[in-house]
Amino acid sequence: MELKIIDHATCTFCGCVCDDIQLHSDGQRIHKAEKACVLGKAWFLNHSAEKHYPDALIDGEPAKLADAISLAAELLHAADMPLVYGMSNTTCEAQKQCVAMADHLGGLLDSHTSL
Amino acid sequence: MYWGGNPAECHPRHFTKYALMPKSKFLPNGRKDRTVVLVDIRETKSVKAADLFLQVRPGKDFELLTILRALLKGHDVGDREIAQTGLDRAVLEDLLSRMKASKFGAIFFGMGLSMTRGKHMNSAALLTLAAELNSFTKFVAMPMRGHGNVTGADVIMRWQTGYPFGISFNRGYPRYNPGEFSTVDVLVRGDTDCAFIIGADPGATMPRPAIEHLARIPTIVLDPHVTHTSRIAKVHITTAPAGIAAPGTAYRMDEIPLPLSPAIDSPYPTDEQVIKQIRAHLEQKPNWLPDSQQTLASQV
Repeated sequence: MELKIIDHATCTFCGCVCDDIQLHSDGQRIHKAEKACVLGKAWFLNHSAEKHYPDALIDGEPAKLADAISLAAELLHAADMPLVYGMSNTTCEAQKQCVAMADHLGGLLDSHTSL
Repeated sequence: MYWGGNPAECHPRHFTKYALMPKSKFLPNGRKDRTVVLVDIRETKSVKAADLFLQVRPGKDFELLTILRALLKGHDVGDREIAQTGLDRAVLEDLLSRMKASKFGAIFFGMGLSMTRGKHMNSAALLTLAAELNSFTKFVAMPMRGHGNVTGADVIMRWQTGYPFGISFNRGYPRYNPGEFSTVDVLVRGDTDCAFIIGADPGATMPRPAIEHLARIPTIVLDPHVTHTSRIAKVHITTAPAGIAAPGTAYRMDEIPLPLSPAIDSPYPTDEQVIKQIRAHLEQKPNWLPDSQQTLASQV
């Protein structure tokens, strides 16, 4: 296993989004997060490439990703007033997709800011 | 100036990396060139970092802000009104003279202000105070954002729709009305009949009636973990954690976009990939408006 060192990595745990973190990773797990604070260290070190969860769940039962995606689309399309909510712990690229989807659905769109 | 926040524990590097310690051209001595004020209802760990600590009575933030605004404009304020905030006149006058004498002031406000009695009225009062201080000196205000890329969500929604949150597309064009279209209200009233939750766990944070409604309707969750919300959801899809296994962009709370450098390979798809696939399915279904030519073209 090859050890990678990533300089100037960005931490997205809190709103500070510190971009000077040095990560030591073997591709499976992050072993060290230099310069990160207590919260940032916990954030980086607690994730791994292992498969802890099934790809998808339908009614709490493990399901195929493709089935979950088509069911999600069906439910959203069938709804009169679908809501798209959250978008905090994700990328701007995904947020842009969320906006487009809410627009297409004629639904509601909201984030953590409104809480 | 920090109001209703505890950066020492919630944003540990805010003092050292951003707000208090950095040395600069105009502040060559770093912390020594700055005055730090903390306003909160109790003594938190952040008090140690402050020169001045104002302990406001719980639920009296709006009153305190309004009194500060009145004193700033030279209006008379009664002792009784000041006393109900838990502070006295000398403290407030000292604070205002320091604020007016500063070269560049910044107020960071946290959820202790924006989520307690008065809610967005508190934030509005604080923003107005910061705006009015600009009659004397340069002053800015900024919310202390909790979750990673919540600033990005504001920025992206503003860019794409013109509004930062609380948006409805149900007339085919974006409308903005927090209180009507904001999620807690929509859920508590039971207005929505399907929820798509991404990068959030309302099942752990929202009031009980809102969670109960999420459990009643088909809810779809995209998250790297099986969350409280996933447990009450119809569909959960596991995605790669942003910034750790998924590449992209995130906004810092002062609206600086920063690239993410993923360090591990995830067995799961990214949020972006999953939503693109859901959108591809949706595009094939008939549009909800009878004459779809009249809707705004998809902005992406």
